[in-house]
Amino acid sequence: MNDADNSPYSHTPEPGEVGLVEPRDFVHPQPFTFDCGQSLPGFTLRYETYGRLNAARDNAVIVLHALSGDHHCAGIHSLNDRKPGWWNNLIGPGKAVDTNRFFVLCSNVLGGCQGSSGPSSINPATGVPYGISFPFVTVRDMIRAQKLLCDHLGITRLAGVIGGSMGGMQALQWGIEYPDFVHRVIAMATTARENAQGIAFNEVGRQAIMQDPDWNQGIYGKGGGPRVGLAIARMMAHITYLSDTSMDRKFGRRKKSAAPAASGAALDVQFEVESYLKHQGESFINRFDANSYLYITRAIDHFDLPGTYGSLEQAFAPVKAHSLVVGFTSDWLFPPEQNRHIALALLRAGKRATYAQLDTDLGHDSFLLESPQIYDLVRDFLERA
Amino acid sequence: MSTPTHTPKKQAVKRTVDMQIIGDWVEPRSRVLDLGCGRGILLEYLAHSREVFGIGVDLDFAKVAACVHRGITAHQGDMMDFMRYFPDGFFDRVIFSRTLEELQNPDAIIQEALRVGRTVAVGFVNHGYWKNRLDVLLNGKKPRNEVYTSLWHESRPANPVSIADFELFCATRQIRITRRSLLRGDWKRPCRVLPNLRAGYALFDLTR
Repeated sequence: MNDADNSPYSHTPEPGEVGLVEPRDFVHPQPFTFDCGQSLPGFTLRYETYGRLNAARDNAVIVLHALSGDHHCAGIHSLNDRKPGWWNNLIGPGKAVDTNRFFVLCSNVLGGCQGSSGPSSINPATGVPYGISFPFVTVRDMIRAQKLLCDHLGITRLAGVIGGSMGGMQALQWGIEYPDFVHRVIAMATTARENAQGIAFNEVGRQAIMQDPDWNQGIYGKGGGPRVGLAIARMMAHITYLSDTSMDRKFGRRKKSAAPAASGAALDVQFEVESYLKHQGESFINRFDANSYLYITRAIDHFDLPGTYGSLEQAFAPVKAHSLVVGFTSDWLFPPEQNRHIALALLRAGKRATYAQLDTDLGHDSFLLESPQIYDLVRDFLERA
Repeated sequence: MSTPTHTPKKQAVKRTVDMQIIGDWVEPRSRVLDLGCGRGILLEYLAHSREVFGIGVDLDFAKVAACVHRGITAHQGDMMDFMRYFPDGFFDRVIFSRTLEELQNPDAIIQEALRVGRTVAVGFVNHGYWKNRLDVLLNGKKPRNEVYTSLWHESRPANPVSIADFELFCATRQIRITRRSLLRGDWKRPCRVLPNLRAGYALFDLTR
């Protein structure tokens, strides 16, 4: 499936697929202290890798996921999979993040619920899930845990870190925290400071979860919990990832079925956009933990580089990486100006930072777009910067 | 007007002349801002020949992507908005290479460049050059030649400037011209006599 398996040094002319992949678990056996001061006796990160680590162990690229993402960013787990990993269009042999050249690593964040330690993990001291007794997580905690995974894998330097949205926040934090370890930073559709609008949307999601009686102060069993609240949180958040134009193109005012005759049916799903959001909410509750949603949105709320370091220039003072920041015109969650601001502050701090702005109408999710312009930009930056 | 087959070569030669003179003025390892950097060809040359810390500004995504392809740092956006963000004298040199005539508000932009840059290099086609005058006089049309190949409706808005215009501007704004390089119609040989009539290309090195 993967040409690189047979001849790692040959270049496939046509972009290929990563193919079948398997997640692995990294168990860190030593205590880990979070930014909040609390600690765990150890933690687990679930991760995937594609491509091969070179002899110098310096060709690794870390892919960083957003709020609801996970470690499965490329390839498929089984031949029956309907969808490949979430950034499969970008990652693979001959693709923009070329697995013939790079050793690609992606892990589920600390505090997540896809195999890494988080609120749904069992507390060994009690035998039940941590729930909200799990330590409060920050973006910096996430990348510090990833650094331990890199050390475990023997990686000597990262050729690049790349992510969009919360993944972009992690990418920036990587550059600040480990300046000698990170060669290139690519941050897309992100911000250096979660603004009031972003916090506000996160809070509506959290309230939907916490006001659901089944949340029960975060104490619930596997498969239980605030399913209604979590679905509503996801439906609302999903709107913020799209745009008026893209939603109108996709759904317009199309009706799901014939207009309801009986009274009472007037409030059933009528428009296609309603049924789409309903589906988004329902599929989300089957794969995501409500407490993790609370934790990760809080980590995003607390992401404030200028506030944490005094100013954005001071935050970026230690950075040695070359950075590429990409904004998208229709992104109203992290608008292009917030992305531009990151690049300007890096320049002002005397760092090399390129800012590119893509004209798209798909909203915040534009960074996941199948776009040759993004592919070329990422490929060239990883090759030349 | 030259035949189309000669056009790219001649243009390339002219671009090289511009590059070499600006390159001579740029201090090695200095911090350089190229406004209207296009595909980053000048900055790439300066990065290799003078090891500058260069940054280009351009409005167009494709231009910025071409800079990334060359390994050049670039910023997609408006040059005025960009400069506003930087403190006085942040750049050792600001360059306007054939962007002057396309500026929306040249006065304000040049003043702002003189604030963020210790020195400002300006290179432009002299519209006072006799061939350009003759072209308009005889044809009564927008000049077309190996530098300006497009018809009026294919061109971006431009504000043709001559050496006389520019020197008058510098005098009224008390901008000091520390160096000038005026080239004849071949953009190679220096032009000493009647430059506003006889020079095809002009380069000025400015400071406050």
